[in-house]
Amino acid sequence: MAVVEADPDELRRLVGRDLSRDELVDELFALGVEFEGEGDDGLEFEVVPDRPDRLSVEGLARSLRYQFGDDRGVRVPEIGRSDYKIRVESVPERPYIVGAVVRDIDLTGGVLDSLIQLQEKLHATLGRRRNKGAIGVHDLTMLKGEEFVYRGIDPDDESFVPLEIGDAGAREMTPREVMEDHPVGKEYARILEGAERVPGIYDDIGMFSFPPVINGKRTEVREDSRDLLVEMTGTDEWTVDKMLNILVYALSDRGATVEEVEVEYDDRRALKPDLSTESKTVTHDRIESMLGVEFGTDDVVDLLERSGMDAETETRDGATAYDVTVPPYRTDVMHPLDVVDDIGRAYGFNEMEPRYPDVSTVGGLTESTRLENAVRKQLVGLGFQDLLSFVLTNDDDCYTRMRRDAPDDGVRIPNPYSEEYDVVRSWLLPSIVSVLANNTHRGYPQNLAEVGFCAVQDDDENTGIREETHVAAAVSGTDAGYEGAKSRLTSLVDDFDATVGTPTTEHPSFIDGRAATVVIDGDDAGVIGELHPEILAEREILQPVAAFEFEIDALRS
Amino acid sequence: MTLTNNERRVLDALAEGDGDTDAEALARTTGLGRGPVEGAVELLAEKGYVNVDETAETLYKLTDEGRGYADDGLPERRLHDYLVENDDVTTDELRDVEGFEIGIGHLRRKGWAEMGATVEPNEASRGDDEEALEALASGENVDGVPETLVDRGLVEREEERTVNVRITDEGRESAEGDDRGTVGALTHDLLASGDWKDADLAEYNVEADAETTHGGREHILRQMANRVKEVMTDMGFQEMEGPHVDAEFYINDHLFMPQDHPARTHWDKFLVEEPQRIDELPDEAVENIRNVHREGAEGGDGYHSEWDRDVARTLNLRGHTTSLSMRYLAEGVEPPARYFSVDKVYRNDTLDPTHLLEFFQIEGWVMARDLSVRDLMGTFVEFYSHFGIEDIEFKPHYNPYTEPSFEIFGEHPETGEQIEIGNSGMFRREVVEPHGIDEDVEVMAWGLALERLLMLIYGFEDIRDVHGTLCDLELLREVPVLWN
Repeated sequence: MAVVEADPDELRRLVGRDLSRDELVDELFALGVEFEGEGDDGLEFEVVPDRPDRLSVEGLARSLRYQFGDDRGVRVPEIGRSDYKIRVESVPERPYIVGAVVRDIDLTGGVLDSLIQLQEKLHATLGRRRNKGAIGVHDLTMLKGEEFVYRGIDPDDESFVPLEIGDAGAREMTPREVMEDHPVGKEYARILEGAERVPGIYDDIGMFSFPPVINGKRTEVREDSRDLLVEMTGTDEWTVDKMLNILVYALSDRGATVEEVEVEYDDRRALKPDLSTESKTVTHDRIESMLGVEFGTDDVVDLLERSGMDAETETRDGATAYDVTVPPYRTDVMHPLDVVDDIGRAYGFNEMEPRYPDVSTVGGLTESTRLENAVRKQLVGLGFQDLLSFVLTNDDDCYTRMRRDAPDDGVRIPNPYSEEYDVVRSWLLPSIVSVLANNTHRGYPQNLAEVGFCAVQDDDENTGIREETHVAAAVSGTDAGYEGAKSRLTSLVDDFDATVGTPTTEHPSFIDGRAATVVIDGDDAGVIGELHPEILAEREILQPVAAFEFEIDALRS
Repeated sequence: MTLTNNERRVLDALAEGDGDTDAEALARTTGLGRGPVEGAVELLAEKGYVNVDETAETLYKLTDEGRGYADDGLPERRLHDYLVENDDVTTDELRDVEGFEIGIGHLRRKGWAEMGATVEPNEASRGDDEEALEALASGENVDGVPETLVDRGLVEREEERTVNVRITDEGRESAEGDDRGTVGALTHDLLASGDWKDADLAEYNVEADAETTHGGREHILRQMANRVKEVMTDMGFQEMEGPHVDAEFYINDHLFMPQDHPARTHWDKFLVEEPQRIDELPDEAVENIRNVHREGAEGGDGYHSEWDRDVARTLNLRGHTTSLSMRYLAEGVEPPARYFSVDKVYRNDTLDPTHLLEFFQIEGWVMARDLSVRDLMGTFVEFYSHFGIEDIEFKPHYNPYTEPSFEIFGEHPETGEQIEIGNSGMFRREVVEPHGIDEDVEVMAWGLALERLLMLIYGFEDIRDVHGTLCDLELLREVPVLWN
């Protein structure tokens, strides 16, 4: 989610209404734009990622003007002709560039800051941190000639003076030096990692921009700049087109005039910005059935116009449909139903009366849940406190502290949040031991049980991982011992009409001679025993513990 | 006067012996612990049946380290001996003498040597500490053991408390006298022999507090999960189940999440070290999903980015249980249908009082012809009303996989604030069309965290108290059960 800071006075001026702070907040909330709090230079709003056209005070104001009905329908800024041209020469890794010439912009009074904010927010969202699209804005009067060249260059062969950030920059540097020494260069060098050639933009004097990393100092935009060249480079033409359109709309809302730039590729030419509209067709029935509201056709057209769209009514196969024109700054209208969402928003979803659907279905639980619930119920009857521990753990807790070696078939997380949680547990007893260790100050006996999730690798499974539900229980206290654990195990297994045997075994977590395999209906299903005193002493559990664990599926018979 | 069983046993033991003994001996003869004996003695003293006289004696005992020094001499003594035996010893040379690290400080403090270019010994007469050490080693108890030995951990001090108990005449009378017949517990023997008829069953203090019994009980979060499941099944929902570790194909691609979506970056999801990818994906489904990502659903557009089958095969711990919904849709479900799950999801995000790396997600969806957003709203109003949450509001929202989408807000049952209680929407055509679902069939879905619902209802402030191994047993034992 992107957070946009907006000066409330600017917002009022651009909307053209004298709204109180609360009115601003409420009206934007109704649009799905949530108030986040007070920022240093205004109010902060959270803009959801489907509407990057709202990532500026100009964009928020535009949405509000439609909301109030002060603007209606699609408005496309007029684009003037110009002789500016960008020639593209072999930039295979970042093949697309678009641009526009902007004239008579007044950047004083916070407008420059707003432009910079929009640029940053677009980079973060649509631009995918400049990977997919990056913006450069230049002072046009500092550029010589009308034909620019966008070309792939050797990062050591060329040099220019990049923008100054703190002490960095403001000296002649090669692109490689920028990527290695300049703070902005270091941040974005990853995008060009491994590339033999990097992009550069040239005018008659020489290189003036190093997209997507940094602009040159020569063309730096200041508050007193009046005419601008806006360029965007990227890996996807649709994305850079949309980013440019959003920027052009914002500058146009500030009173600037916009002129086209011709982009010349080896095999084609394109005039930018491309402010052509798109259209979507949606039927009246679909709108009514999706929203559950009956509309007149005029209502629908009105609601669409208040969403900044145009609509023409047409009749198709005897049914009413709308040919809807979508403005060029919208990136989220992919399907006719997206248009229906806009109608719903303009109408007001909270105006709609909820109704319980007249649909009859039969509910029920899965067999696994029924079995787990039955086991838990019996365990509780046997006096166990049911537990619910984390599935994620670590080798130390899950194995080492249980005197076991970590198994080769464990499920591990290569990118954990912390080293504490980098293993998916393969058994439950360590979780129970941890709970015992964390509760030695609480009254005994402590009889604890968990029915829970475990996983191990298994080539036979489609995912390569076998997911199991285990049943584990421990008795702890002065009188706790093997016999107590076994009597409960026997009782539990009996409840499921199965038989249990406990042939002796060796297990590092249990005392020698007090450990057994849990065999249920003839199959090895788990283990039972008295926990080794070394485990208890290390966790400072000063009461004996006897425990068992087995796979729940052994009880299905 | 009525005596408890323990009092009776202690008094009898006293009467049978010479009437003058201590608590330790009584514990042995009665077979009760020292604690219960002292408890009984205190009660007997209150009744005037015994006189009690407590004495305490301080005992000193050598530690293992102290015993070693008693044999070999204190480390500083050993250093001093070395200095006397050798000339012009440097500090470096002295370092090789055993016990140097411990001894050197004491050597200087006791003024036994001058430290210069070489270390020169002074006169070092035998100290009180050395005397005491030797005496203790030979088994004598020493008065006034120097504190320094205790501080150095060479000697341990123990307080031995002796509780002397002497029976009084009243006590002896009681032991032999009239109330011999009062009986504490009704026993098997009394019942079997018929002696209960003559026994005078002692009166109990029925107002006294009894110890709390902690029976077994279901974990509070499990109770919450089951309560939710009950409500869901009552509302006609059928439960789903499926893999926790699943391919991104089901976790993300089925949800029309573009492969370059910021939420799909390496750090937001839990990857799996081995195996890294699912064996295979059904070819037809892969083609359908690829098409919808690239070309969109009918009448719409796709994304402007590549779609890679290997990315889709990558295994993750699921970040939401919508992957289950997708697997069920992929299996083929006919309308009308209602499905739900209350199961674990994993987020590689934040761990703090309100966020866990793994939590339970409540997921539900309804599939039927001509469902509208009003049906979605009505379903949620019904669901939340079972948990005391009223005044539901729907804030238009954005999810890549639903349109329209809503964040659900409800009034906090305690504070009255409007708080977010879920995320919902109608699945996009791009999500349902690959499964061949007719255009007039809508699928509405919603999700929320079970823990959040529990915290709302109970006012828990730190979710780690109730989910995970840091749980407090006392809380689990005492929190009121959930039934309403």
